[in-house]
Amino acid sequence: MIESVDAYLTQLRKELAGCDPATIQDALADAEEHLRNALEQAYGHEKTEPEAAALISIIDKYGSPEEIATAYREIETLTQPALAERKPVRRKSPLNRFLSVFTDASAWGALLYLMFSMITGIVYFTWAITGLSLSLGLLVLVIGLPFTVLFLLSVRSIALVEGRIVEALLGVRMPRRPLFTNRDAGWWEQVKSLFSERCTWTAVIYMILQLPLGTLYFTIFTCLISASLAFMASPILEFIIDEPLIWLGEMAYHIPVWLMPLAVVGGFVLFLTAMHMAKLIARAHGALAKTLLLGTR
Amino acid sequence: MEVTKLTKKFEKEMKSGTASLVVLSVLAKTKEPMYGYLIAKQIEAESEDTPLVKQGTLYPVLRSMESSGLLESQVEPSTSGPPRRYYQITELGRKSLMEWIAIWNEIRDFVEASLEGVSHD
Repeated sequence: MIESVDAYLTQLRKELAGCDPATIQDALADAEEHLRNALEQAYGHEKTEPEAAALISIIDKYGSPEEIATAYREIETLTQPALAERKPVRRKSPLNRFLSVFTDASAWGALLYLMFSMITGIVYFTWAITGLSLSLGLLVLVIGLPFTVLFLLSVRSIALVEGRIVEALLGVRMPRRPLFTNRDAGWWEQVKSLFSERCTWTAVIYMILQLPLGTLYFTIFTCLISASLAFMASPILEFIIDEPLIWLGEMAYHIPVWLMPLAVVGGFVLFLTAMHMAKLIARAHGALAKTLLLGTR
Repeated sequence: MEVTKLTKKFEKEMKSGTASLVVLSVLAKTKEPMYGYLIAKQIEAESEDTPLVKQGTLYPVLRSMESSGLLESQVEPSTSGPPRRYYQITELGRKSLMEWIAIWNEIRDFVEASLEGVSHD
């Protein structure tokens, strides 16, 4: 016997245990939207019958937590994130696998994300540090608490948006709906949960970490890619523009003609290696984002 | 397996195949975007006795149809309760629906023709 929407959601969460956290968050948001809308329809505007009585028929139509959990488990195996890696159908040779990264959409997505993460990192870092220090500083004043609440709410929203970016470019399943909040509780309870939930603070940590990480990613890949492009373009540099490949202070280094094919091939290999590295780093970053941005209670 | 278990499996397969067809046709008939609860209500109103699917199973279907481009959606805040996600059929959805209806008619005629003459005992 389920007596309130919250009891239903708690039970649904239990039934979904072991599922992807992002799936759980979506399922809870869907159920809450439906049940509350249905309750509102049932009541009209005045509450004539107790919630529990109206809920029985509503849940009967919506489906029990067990049924809904089964449905989400099934559908989740069918819909994968846009760039999620699919298992290769047949085994490829190591050489083939090394070369095929060039046509691998997830590697390009990862590279794009890593290059842009410095920009998002600067924005997140500035926002988080400004928000944190202003919140702490203003806490002694009346506007301190409202300001802190607004800041933490903005962090929640940014965490959701960053999650969408991470899912699109890194292929890691992230929530598609905002974190479920208990609407029956008063506003004070909601404010308290904002402070007490782990994910609010881990999201702040993520925003701060994004700057050093983004800078590191940007530096690594700018160096690797520009070096590989320079090697690939070495014949053009040497013969057409008549520019040495390497300048070190006053010293210019030319490549001998016989080494040139090797430099071009080497540049290409370096580029592909960079793409493989991007995939590896992106996987690690995706795992980090999943740990820090998801609400696990 | 017992007969009831086999029947359950058959029923599930039939329903999961037709759910998206039903959702598309509901959304094709309305001008305004609809949110999940309204769509479920509409389906309930159209099926005379008990609705064929649990309403809760509609939401994952809606989401997967959106990701395949048949529907588009936007979230709007509601005066009471959580924000609602409004779904609307896309041009691709309309075109697909026309083709799906043709396929449905073909299958229905074929199945009915082959079921003719099966006795109950």
